[in-house]
Amino acid sequence: MGSPPTTHRETAAATDDTATARRSEPALDIEHLSKRFGSGDSAVVAVDDVSLTVDAGAVVGLLGPNGAGKTTLIKCALGIVTPDTGSVSVFGTAVTDDHRAAYADVDAMLEGARNDYWRLTVRENLRYFATIHGVAPDSVATRHARLLDRLNLAEKADTPVRDLSRGMKQKVSLASVLAGGADLVFLDEPTLGLDVESSRTLRRELRRLAREEGLTIVLSSHDMAVIEAVCDRVVMLADGRIVADDTVAALLSTADRDVLRVVSPDIDAALLDTLRTRFEVNAVETGGETTRVDIVAPGDTLYAVMETLRAADVTVESLRTRQPALEDVFVDRTGMTPDGDDERRRSL
Amino acid sequence: MSDDPEPATAADAAGSAGRSSTLTDAATPTETDAAPSEPRPATYYHLAKAVLYREYLLFVRYPANAIGGIIVALFFFGVLFYGGRLVAGRALTDSIEGIIVGYFLWTLSVGAYSSVSNDLGSEVQWGTLERHITTPFGFAPVALLKGVAKVVRTFLTSAVILAVMLVVTDTQLSLQPITVVVIAGLSITSVLGLGFAAGGVTVLYKRIGNWLNLLQFGFVVLISAPVLDAPWTRLLPLAHGSALLQRAMVDGTGLWAFGFVDLGLLVAVAGGYLAGGYLVFHYATRRARRLGVLGDY
Repeated sequence: MGSPPTTHRETAAATDDTATARRSEPALDIEHLSKRFGSGDSAVVAVDDVSLTVDAGAVVGLLGPNGAGKTTLIKCALGIVTPDTGSVSVFGTAVTDDHRAAYADVDAMLEGARNDYWRLTVRENLRYFATIHGVAPDSVATRHARLLDRLNLAEKADTPVRDLSRGMKQKVSLASVLAGGADLVFLDEPTLGLDVESSRTLRRELRRLAREEGLTIVLSSHDMAVIEAVCDRVVMLADGRIVADDTVAALLSTADRDVLRVVSPDIDAALLDTLRTRFEVNAVETGGETTRVDIVAPGDTLYAVMETLRAADVTVESLRTRQPALEDVFVDRTGMTPDGDDERRRSL
Repeated sequence: MSDDPEPATAADAAGSAGRSSTLTDAATPTETDAAPSEPRPATYYHLAKAVLYREYLLFVRYPANAIGGIIVALFFFGVLFYGGRLVAGRALTDSIEGIIVGYFLWTLSVGAYSSVSNDLGSEVQWGTLERHITTPFGFAPVALLKGVAKVVRTFLTSAVILAVMLVVTDTQLSLQPITVVVIAGLSITSVLGLGFAAGGVTVLYKRIGNWLNLLQFGFVVLISAPVLDAPWTRLLPLAHGSALLQRAMVDGTGLWAFGFVDLGLLVAVAGGYLAGGYLVFHYATRRARRLGVLGDY
């Protein structure tokens, strides 16, 4: 009996040189990819000239509001949607030319989909989808058992998926995607609809799997917390285009740093001049008998601000600090909230 | 299903190491002592086994679905038989053997056709279709194997229906297993092709699937096509196979007693419609990829 085209599965017999050569290829290489749906005036440009390279072992977050083009980009990368222009390669294999060979290395958990059979048990699903993904199920039985252990599903291994809770079903979905041993995994909104605790567990497991299994993960979400917790690098999409692509730390560094908000009835014009001279004052608002001042005060600057206020004999009514968040960067870059509301329009 | 002993629990499985070095890193000393195993590529044999086993599991674990189908088919046969006897009397009783064979072939055809087209629709709704699209085996071979699995299942349920019909009507037919399975199997292969074409259209235009199910009533016409008076009808799906099945089951003609031309035509019609349906399915899914509607519901 024949077997399907394989790439990573041949590693058992492959030389180290082959494996090294493969590893030197980017896990995902997207070049000038565009996709338009419809025609004429009603045409919608879902993805607009996107180029993106993801190295093997990286965990990259795709962040964008609804309709930003995240899912279309993922489906194009998987060959489920044929792009109008551009190319996609998975570990050096062009998806647009040879879907089947590329599919040996990639799998996906798509938004809102079950991704598995609810009438089969957890273990049966893993075995079935490993086979569909081109791996003999008996040869990965141990790996499956370990995977179930890690996702706290071992006790439910022989339970039909339909009898599990929502959070567990989502974990089974993830497990079935990982069952075939794909090296590149797309996860589209993996925490959608989960409660806080289940979402937190799944995030923890994703981090651990990425670290310990060396998986390349492309994770799409409009949940900033998930992206911030799991990803090394963030690609922000808006209107089908990439508007930012950097590490989480680098993106956060571009946001306003820690902001100190001081409210007091004792802040007069002279003190405001002093504060403006010494610090970066973001905003001043006077209402009633109090004045509110927002001062960018990263790190030790906080102490200097407090010393200035003390020297001016200011009685502080309230004092708050605010950490910069990915959402601030996102709003700044796109002018939109992660849910797709136009922040600029809303503020008018 | 399993060739190798499968670990009953994760704890049992912990006795051997996983595929990656990182798993070994996290393993206990006992785990690292065991020989590591590498993932082996699945062959089409593994694929066929997995698809058939899944069908078997659904069949035995949720028998109500299969039993429901059998009861409905028998109910309609009962209406046909007892109602027909009231109206046509002895005329119907004289032709009961032909009716049973035709009805048996119709249940087979409906099962094969609707299961293939409905299965694709279900996979789309469940979000499992994408998993079958992104397979290194290729979508079409997987879909074809799933179709074969459905046909096997349909044979089992139709066999039960046939047995009950024979008992209820106190009729005897020639049931040479190889002859019946080969001729009936090749006959419904052409329907499988129609199912694939319908499945492809369903992938493109989701809501049309229910309308395409109406085509199954057209199978009655094909099964009773006048192949002697209008020989060209032998080129239609089911028609020639139905005529051969009548001869096999009513007259007791063995498989090798049929002429080369008869068997050759049966194979050609089966292969032609299957290939045609497969092509329609292939091009429909390709167009669905371009339109971005593959897997959407």
